[in-house]
Amino acid sequence: MEENIITINNIGKEYPGVQALKDVSFDIKRNTVHCIVGENGAGKSTLIKILAGAQQRSRGEIELNGIPYNPKNTRHAMNSGMSVLFQELNVIDQLTVEENLTLGMEKLRFGFIRKTEHQDRLQEILFSMDKTIKLNHKVSDLSVAQKQVIEITKAIATDSKVIIMDEPTAAITEGEIAKLFAVIKDLRKQDVTVIYISHRLNEIFEIGDYVTVMRDGCMIETRAITEFDGCTEKIDTGTGVVERTVNEETACKALIRMMLGEVVVTRYTPKEIDKTKVALSLKNISNHKLKNISFDLYKGETLGFYGLVGSGKSEIARAIYGVDDISNGEIMLNGKPINLKSPDKAISESISMVPEERRTEGLCTMLNIRENITLMNMSSVSSRGVINKSKERELSTDYISKLQIACRDGNQKTALLSGGNQQKVVLAKCLNSNPSIFLLDEPSRGVDVGAKEEIHNIIRELAKKGVSSIVFSSELPEVMNLCDRIILLYEGEIREVLVNGQNHDFENILHIVTGGSV
Amino acid sequence: MMNLSKMSFKLNIQKYLMLCVLLLVIIAFSLLTPKFFTYVNLRNVMLQVSLIVITGSAVTLLMISGHFDLSVGSVIAFAGIMHAYISKHIAPTTVSIIIAICLGGLIGFLNGLMVTKLKITPIIATLGTMYAARGLAFIVARADGGANITSGLPLNFENFGRKMIGPVPFPIILMIVVVIIFYYIQTKTNLGRYAYSIGANENTSYLSGVKVERWIILLYLLVGLFAAFCGTILVSRLGSGVPTIGVGFEFDVIIAVVLGGTLISGGEGSVLGMVIGALIVGFVANGLNLLDVQSFYQTVIKGCILLGSIILERGLKKKLV
Repeated sequence: MEENIITINNIGKEYPGVQALKDVSFDIKRNTVHCIVGENGAGKSTLIKILAGAQQRSRGEIELNGIPYNPKNTRHAMNSGMSVLFQELNVIDQLTVEENLTLGMEKLRFGFIRKTEHQDRLQEILFSMDKTIKLNHKVSDLSVAQKQVIEITKAIATDSKVIIMDEPTAAITEGEIAKLFAVIKDLRKQDVTVIYISHRLNEIFEIGDYVTVMRDGCMIETRAITEFDGCTEKIDTGTGVVERTVNEETACKALIRMMLGEVVVTRYTPKEIDKTKVALSLKNISNHKLKNISFDLYKGETLGFYGLVGSGKSEIARAIYGVDDISNGEIMLNGKPINLKSPDKAISESISMVPEERRTEGLCTMLNIRENITLMNMSSVSSRGVINKSKERELSTDYISKLQIACRDGNQKTALLSGGNQQKVVLAKCLNSNPSIFLLDEPSRGVDVGAKEEIHNIIRELAKKGVSSIVFSSELPEVMNLCDRIILLYEGEIREVLVNGQNHDFENILHIVTGGSV
Repeated sequence: MMNLSKMSFKLNIQKYLMLCVLLLVIIAFSLLTPKFFTYVNLRNVMLQVSLIVITGSAVTLLMISGHFDLSVGSVIAFAGIMHAYISKHIAPTTVSIIIAICLGGLIGFLNGLMVTKLKITPIIATLGTMYAARGLAFIVARADGGANITSGLPLNFENFGRKMIGPVPFPIILMIVVVIIFYYIQTKTNLGRYAYSIGANENTSYLSGVKVERWIILLYLLVGLFAAFCGTILVSRLGSGVPTIGVGFEFDVIIAVVLGGTLISGGEGSVLGMVIGALIVGFVANGLNLLDVQSFYQTVIKGCILLGSIILERGLKKKLV
């Protein structure tokens, strides 16, 4: 038997205009818990999708159990022994536990479902993990953690050798996390290797055996957890039980340093902000995701929100923009309370938003560049509902040259553009609505380095013209390069407000947004 | 990248493909039967087609926005019977036409409300009004005292549908005017642009400040108005109010729109394409009639045309994604 269950060799993956993975190579040892960490956009999810068969690599080789592994789709990957526990769980709520477990592998006799020994085995596996789940329970009555257990049971029953877990603790409670970890630790005995992805670094030191750090599409280092400073293991010679003690502070900091690399902050120049002119002010805003968000945005200021996925960044943008409901609190625009119920009201108050998802929220990819640019403010090119085509052509050509959108002309379908140019079209659309308050949710996600810099310059130019911007980003260099103040978010709460231009300890910032104390 | 540019090339091909199909159909039937390419026959076909095109113009815009209306056939019958009833009992013919059209608009407005405010899927909502409007048409006919409203109609009742402008029947003139109006809406107005953007991506449109619900209601309203308009033309041509007219009309319209290159999922399509689609539907039906093909075979052929064009659309779209 091979020592390595998975060998990854020089994997590369390109999307139009972006290189998501560059020559990634590492091994995963059999029956270990192998963690993968990295900032957003580091390439983790691309790597998982390739392993799970959801996407095809551009280059390189993977071996599973010593045999070349080229899954054409997720089904194929599953049959080869690779299961994935996605964040969106793949169970059917309306069926019972038993029906979920046997779905797609029922033994039939004369068209009727037959009971088999197979079910006894399922029960055995299930009970070894969670004794409270009965086979005849409706899945809709179970908690998220219990549903995860059902998915893991199914993976084991189908003889999966590897289970990939994508942020399994994101949606479950503390108590359930402890239970899940017990299950994961137990999986080793069942000859199952776990690939574990999480943003919560302390978890990695709790259950991981190895950790691979990724940054900018590259594999930075793969290291055994015990090699970190502050992490020691003692083996009780009598019982063989391994006891691990972790100094979280030291160990996490070392890991964060590897994730961040050198943060280059060269592009930010401090500027004077007139603190008497408050453009936008939030007071104790709460809703399903946000807890008591309060802050002021000054005229001409660029304010940054930094936090991980799920920290509530998009929700703040959407609450201001009138998309999400607010259960509590008040939003003041230029000192007057406003109550926006939809984006069109926000736009008429000259608030504009670049949404998080470019393809599904920012663009109509079936329409051309010209039609997308004018969509947010049709009255800029039409009167009494009739479009002035030559005016529209002129206006879009103007934006194309001003924002340097690389394209044939304004009649090109936006589906054909690269990520960076698509994002510039979204920016042009928002700029054409003449915002005085500009919300940018992940303005440069999935965009190549050159376009990223160009987008940042556009935001800087706007600030000079007195436009107040809020940049919501999960990339620390982005907020450090752009913003006058940076607000750190964790789980829907403001944890810390930093003024840029002073010496900040980046490791400490990351420590805060991953849930560490301030 | 390569595939995508090939793709747009293919879509253009599809446009001209339908024009070629239309010419082929005309040539084929002209050769098969001498009765086909005559003034009287072509005039009759165009009278049939004019109704499909007038309703289809509004339906094209609605389907570009990704929506759907099954109730147009019943709205034709309902508006037609209302026109007959009102002009017989209540008001002069012209006023009656206007009232009947407004009633059709009301049904369209209700469709729009159900789809946007109550979030009922378009197929179910318009299936409901399709049955309700048909039922109302029968009830109104019965209220008059018979199965149809044939006697006692004002003398000028038939003028609207049977008038001739030179050698051209009036409904054909109306058709041309309606096509020009909707072509203008589609290409030159905010309403047309919003129909495309909503069909292409409703979420993006909403986030870009497009008042999505309001525009969708307006589109359903337009469909109701123009279907009712067709209803008044048809009863006027028939010279009597008949509640069974327009059965299956909705499918003729949808086939014409889809053949014209409008995607069922929205975001793409054109009024002029629909005109070509309607001509194909009209000529095929007429040609088969002249060749004495029994009507149930015709139904099978129509069904096959619809399915074939949707399969073609799927195939093309898959390559785009």
